[in-house]
Amino acid sequence: MTLEAFTKALEEEFEEITPGTISPDSNYREIEGWSSMHALIVIAFVDNHYDIILSAADLKQTSTIKDLYNIVQQRVG
Amino acid sequence: MIDLKGKKIAVTGASSGIGREVAILVSKLGADLILTGRNQEALNETASQIATNCEVILCDLSVEEEIENFAKKIKSIDGLAHCAGIVQPFPIKFIKSKHIDTVLKINLYSGILLCSNLLRNKSFNNGSSLVFISSVSADHPYNGSALYSISKKGLEAFARSFSLEQSIQKMRANVVVPALVNTNIYEKTKAAYDEEFIKKIEAQYPLGIGEPIDVANMIAFLLSNNAQWITGTSIKMDGGLLLNNNT
Ligand SMILES: NC(=O)c1ccc[n+]([C@@H]2O[C@H](COP(=O)([O-])OP(=O)(O)OC[C@H]3O[C@@H](n4cnc5c(N)ncnc54)[C@H](OP(=O)(O)O)[C@@H]3O)[C@@H](O)[C@H]2O)c1
Repeated sequence: MTLEAFTKALEEEFEEITPGTISPDSNYREIEGWSSMHALIVIAFVDNHYDIILSAADLKQTSTIKDLYNIVQQRVG
Repeated sequence: MIDLKGKKIAVTGASSGIGREVAILVSKLGADLILTGRNQEALNETASQIATNCEVILCDLSVEEEIENFAKKIKSIDGLAHCAGIVQPFPIKFIKSKHIDTVLKINLYSGILLCSNLLRNKSFNNGSSLVFISSVSADHPYNGSALYSISKKGLEAFARSFSLEQSIQKMRANVVVPALVNTNIYEKTKAAYDEEFIKKIEAQYPLGIGEPIDVANMIAFLLSNNAQWITGTSIKMDGGLLLNNNT
């Protein structure tokens, strides 16, 4: 999955967000209404698409969607 | 005074957190022990703090054959503290059967299969006491807790069925139902969230979050003859967390 496709697919999981609001450089914690539930969605999204289980601590090291994508790529590779 | 002298007690999850504290406490109260978990080094660390006779047996409780082999090695016990468990929050819309399997195998099936094997092998002495660990989230879910809450509620139902079926042998089964306890599970939560969020959680506990010894004290009591009239019950331990909650 490309970074752009990853960003779009993740955005679709955040159902209350207007499509097109998030870009690869978005700091996802600054997304309006961000909560611990969204963090769980990110972890579950990565698990379902890549069969990789990110820990909440992995997540804490990332700020943007791109950071997240890069961590996933490292684990896949 | 709680006295466990002359009793042999098996403790699962003895390599860490609540299970380790239970093992150390019941040994201080005189019981001999069988300790199990997957992490040999961590189990040895627990065993090094045990003064009474103590046997360490490795077992992955998510694998049925390993449970069977473990149960065969237990010849005769007077108590079981089943402390093994995992927390893996997962939102419902992403759940697939592999996620259900992962959580239920260790949190629910392992307790059922271990007990059924021990009963078939006649390993429990009459009057044995079993203690399981549920969680307040069985009745008070949080985001992502569906599978964990199901597993813990299931364990409570199992303990009640067990206590009914085995009462003929004067065996007892009870459940402790803790809120947040300061173990690895809490350390992981702290590592994941910012300080402000953690402070908010801690502020919800009038008596502060629990320590492993708080839960271990109750488990030791339930394992002892002092609790001989208590069976089939769930005992909430939450430092006052749910006092303001009407459900
Ligand atoms: N801490 C809390 O806030 C809290 C609150 C309510 C209920 N509880 C419950 O309390 C119990 C103990 O948790 P804890 O806080 O002490 O957590 P912990 O420190 O993470 O300990 C969990 C234990 O479970 C064992 N375990 C996990 N998977 C296993 C497997 N497949 N086979 C065998 N053993 C396995 C681990 O041993 P190995 O790694 O050696 O396998 C470890 O000893 C759990 O059932 C948990 O659900 C905890």
